[in-house]
Amino acid sequence: MKKLYSNKFHILIFLLPALILFCGVLIAPIGASAYFSLFDWKGIGPKTFIGLSNYKELFTSNSIGFLKALRNSLLLAALSVGLQLPLALALALALGKKIKGERAFLSVYFMPVLISTVVIGQLWLKIYNPDYGILNVFLRAVGLENWTRIWLGTKKTALGAVLVPTLWQYVGYHMLLLYAGVKSVPIELREAAMLDGATDGQVNRYIVLPYIKPIVRISVIFAVTGSLKSFDLIYVLTNGGPLHSTEVPSTLMISMLFLRNRYGMGSTIAVLLILLCFGFALLINVMFKESEE
Amino acid sequence: MKKILALALALCMIFALAACGQQAAPAPAEKPAEKPAEAAPAEAAPAEAAPEQTVLKLWCIATESDANRPGYEKAIAEFEAAHPDIKIEWEAFENNSYKTKIKAAMMGGDTEDLPDIFFTWAGAFLGDFAEVGSAYCLDEAYKPFAGDLPEVMLQNSTYGGKHFGVPLTYNIVTLFANMDLLAEVGYTEIPQTYEDLTACCDALVAKGIIPFGCAGSETWCVTEYLEPIIEKTIGYEALGSIFAGQGSWNDPAIATAVDNFQGMVKKGYFDPNGMAIGNDQVKANFIDGQYAFYQNGSWNCGEIDAKETADGVNFEAALFPVMDSAKATYGQVIGGPSDTLAVCAYSKNADLAASVAFELGRSICHYCYLAGSGLPAWTPDYDTSEVKQLVSDVAAIVAKADGMVLFGDTAMSADPANTYLDYVAQVYGCELDGAGFVEGLTKDLG
Repeated sequence: MKKLYSNKFHILIFLLPALILFCGVLIAPIGASAYFSLFDWKGIGPKTFIGLSNYKELFTSNSIGFLKALRNSLLLAALSVGLQLPLALALALALGKKIKGERAFLSVYFMPVLISTVVIGQLWLKIYNPDYGILNVFLRAVGLENWTRIWLGTKKTALGAVLVPTLWQYVGYHMLLLYAGVKSVPIELREAAMLDGATDGQVNRYIVLPYIKPIVRISVIFAVTGSLKSFDLIYVLTNGGPLHSTEVPSTLMISMLFLRNRYGMGSTIAVLLILLCFGFALLINVMFKESEE
Repeated sequence: MKKILALALALCMIFALAACGQQAAPAPAEKPAEKPAEAAPAEAAPAEAAPEQTVLKLWCIATESDANRPGYEKAIAEFEAAHPDIKIEWEAFENNSYKTKIKAAMMGGDTEDLPDIFFTWAGAFLGDFAEVGSAYCLDEAYKPFAGDLPEVMLQNSTYGGKHFGVPLTYNIVTLFANMDLLAEVGYTEIPQTYEDLTACCDALVAKGIIPFGCAGSETWCVTEYLEPIIEKTIGYEALGSIFAGQGSWNDPAIATAVDNFQGMVKKGYFDPNGMAIGNDQVKANFIDGQYAFYQNGSWNCGEIDAKETADGVNFEAALFPVMDSAKATYGQVIGGPSDTLAVCAYSKNADLAASVAFELGRSICHYCYLAGSGLPAWTPDYDTSEVKQLVSDVAAIVAKADGMVLFGDTAMSADPANTYLDYVAQVYGCELDGAGFVEGLTKDLG
């Protein structure tokens, strides 16, 4: 067996099927997108090579609004890290203390992750409906008529209204990741700290959090890259409207590809999204590494 | 020995992977020759022995909730009964997702999945397919049907002098009015002048009735209001020229028209909730008596007429009044033949599919006209006494039409059409005034 491992040719042969799959499914489409991003192309018919013009136009054109879409995604990423993850962590820490009904709470919090995003979108569309939506109905019922809004129909409220369900849906997902981490903390460590007189808060801060740091890092990466890639819920709720106020790079990409027939520009957005996701994942890794050191 | 074993194992794995792969797609068919159908179903002699069934795939947007659905069902059933040797396998997709699906499918080129016949919009949408050779030329297949289908109806699906589409029905932007609500403010007929219309709207607002319903989240619905106003200000020829890319948006009269429209929005003539709800709900609200007017395509006649018949609500149809009588007349309309069937150039049975498309098109037009979901692009050769009243009213309007301009987002190709829609949305959202609209479109589209 040692001889087998020492032969690089054998290693290559055994890795080949997986390598072919990896390249075919991941690398080749990225390469194709990068290639198409250099063309002015309707998706059908001849292509015109235009070099990096699509990239230039993406960052300079006001009518495309890529920077605004990117800003919305970054806002979502910031809220995911600043609101969603702390909430998920708080729930994970609370449930990790073997409270009564732990399993039931876990299931309830995780339920939105299991429901199809399109279904969630439809539910929130009904919640936000200006006529019969539960939100406006509730506000009217408690005498806050002035607070009622056309939540998804005005620029001022649409982005916030879209962000709420987007953040809410994945709280359970991050909670489950962090909960698994909390549960893996050796009981002896907790007990030793308690015997030394540490409070619950101190145990969480000095024992649990450092222990689950790798999982927190994974959660942050998922939250940030997930925000940059966010698409389905926004597509169902507003499709980037009104007046592009809820546009994110993914909805813009779909609009370029299938509404405007600008496959080159759509591919450019795809390439930038990939680069952004990789870039942020690397940055987060570096930040966590530095803090560990 | 171990080396040989390892190599053999690796080769087995590679072969297994290769075996799991799909069989190679057949070589792309050559671009079909533009020759006449040898055995078009319209002229085909009845076969003595039951021939093998030819399956033709049809993609359309006649979903369960679509007003044209019954028309498709009847037409296809009738066709299959008359032609037992041809089976129509049809699939219906939701309007917006269909636009994505058909383009993505055509991008793939020659595949087994492509339909033989597909629904499309005339104008630039079909034009893109025709330009790259994905749509089949129908010149020869049209000849036997020319007597029933006036050539003028094919003008929106004709590119470079060649016909690529079979028009089904045609539609115009129609101003529907709930006469019962108008009666509450003292109007017994739809206002015929702009001043009269605004006076009527003011009276409606004062009485707590919302004059217009419009789905702001679907910008094409906003164009159903804005385009007639621009047309009735600058005239149909000028607007048609702009949509065709020959004229310029740089016209102060367009800015005036846009400001007039925005003035109506600012005066509260439109349901503010319309920004957050879709057209289906807006239409339902109008039919339920929440708005006095609803300006949209004449394909809605059937649904609105059904409510009139069931509940005795009095609806009438008209056109938006003239804004500048020096340049426009009342009889200038927005619309024309747009709903179209086309044949995929990669179809193995393109000639047959072309003839079938014409036969189906005639039949779908027949049933949709009777159902009130469109006006007939084909000359009716059947009893039309059952045609719904609202449809007859709209047909009468069209009969007196002075000129027609195809819907802007259909006439323009995808990219400029969406740029135009962006500006329209900004006007409806009061982000941009008339001058800004004209300046922006002149800069972006010329």
